Amino acid sequence: MGHGRYIEPPAAQYVLGAGEKLALEFSVLPGESRDIDISVDLAGEGAEFSLRGFYILGRDEKLNINVRVHHKAPGCSSSQVVNGVAGGEAAVKFDGRIIVAPGADGTDASQTNRNVVVSDSARVETTPQLEIYADDVKCSHGATVGKLGEDELFYMRSRGIPEREAKVLQILSFLSPALPDGVDQNGVEEALREILV
Amino acid sequence: MILLDIKNLYASASSATGSATEILHGVDLTVGAGEVHAIMGPNGAGKSTLSAVLSGKPDYTVTSGSVTFAGEDLLAMSPEQRSWAGLFLSFQYPVEIPGVTYSAFMKAALAARRKAAGEEELSAADFLKLMKEKMAFVGMDPSFAKRAVNAGFSGGEKKRAEIFQMAMLSPVLSILDETDSGLDVDALKTVADGVNAMRSPEKSTIIITHYRKLLEYVRPDKVHILKAGRIVRSGGEELADEIENEGFDKF
Repeated sequence: MGHGRYIEPPAAQYVLGAGEKLALEFSVLPGESRDIDISVDLAGEGAEFSLRGFYILGRDEKLNINVRVHHKAPGCSSSQVVNGVAGGEAAVKFDGRIIVAPGADGTDASQTNRNVVVSDSARVETTPQLEIYADDVKCSHGATVGKLGEDELFYMRSRGIPEREAKVLQILSFLSPALPDGVDQNGVEEALREILV
Repeated sequence: MILLDIKNLYASASSATGSATEILHGVDLTVGAGEVHAIMGPNGAGKSTLSAVLSGKPDYTVTSGSVTFAGEDLLAMSPEQRSWAGLFLSFQYPVEIPGVTYSAFMKAALAARRKAAGEEELSAADFLKLMKEKMAFVGMDPSFAKRAVNAGFSGGEKKRAEIFQMAMLSPVLSILDETDSGLDVDALKTVADGVNAMRSPEKSTIIITHYRKLLEYVRPDKVHILKAGRIVRSGGEELADEIENEGFDKF
């Protein structure tokens, strides 16, 4: 896949022709309220789309993510990974829709949206939708909203890593599939320390 | 000198539904500095509960009794404080942490421990040297430093990595919770070599196991049988032979 591009709100629309490739990335950090709207049409045979996005919120931000991927031609692939952590009074909504049109046979589409909530007041809603009207397609989607697991945390603490720092590493692990290559890891860790009060 | 002193320890495990089950019913155990103790027992005896309570795992509650470690009240410490004080638990099921490299993991662990001890952080060069040395010590390929913690490791690799962490942290008391289960002979020898090489007049080890096999390579000073939440018998190495030949039923 090609180089990632950061998306500027409010909306970005793309139409990919035969063999074209598009890789998008986004990040939302503490203090940023955003509406992210992405619409991609895979209109030519063999087009490829990938999306990696993450958010780290912990004040009273509002984040709305809308992703619509429309497979219109045969043999196209799309992959989306959006993971995030919500603390404070952050409110996050993720709406993801994959549409595989009639005739878009051999489509390979995946979408993952995993969210972890680290405060009592943060809210996350995720709605993945899949509409398939073609044959011979490989589609997967998964969405979760949960809390941090105790096992990783205890494992790290038993090695002497203090609880807060262990949580930073744990969330970093959770976010890792959605982090762009070459992301500023220190910046991510700093953002996590900020929301883990 | 006594390093670990467990007195009349009663502990319960709480389930996800919040109900508590008492598993340890009055454990007494004293481990001297420099000693290797083996705790053997059938499934459900409370072996893993004992290691969980000693390392401070949440979801376990001590209802009565005391544990003194190097003169301090162990039960009053957080898991990280126990680690800083020199306690190490080799997990029966090491946890996978994708996206966090072994190098970052050990760096965070060492930095916290040195900070707690009032020492300066290791330089990057010294840290890398230490990693390399300890990986070689347990026969781990240096490439594991850049791999995510235990992610996709085989059972044997995970156990080897636990011994690597033990060597990195150089604990005063190591508890090996069924570190030998599921290991082939070569991996078992690696674990044993690691434990033996760290034996010293100050350092102690508790080996929790079902089987005598590991004890052929790491010879214990004392063997205890834990059954139904209590130590029902203590003795020397010969006790392990007795169990191997006759099973736990007679105790």
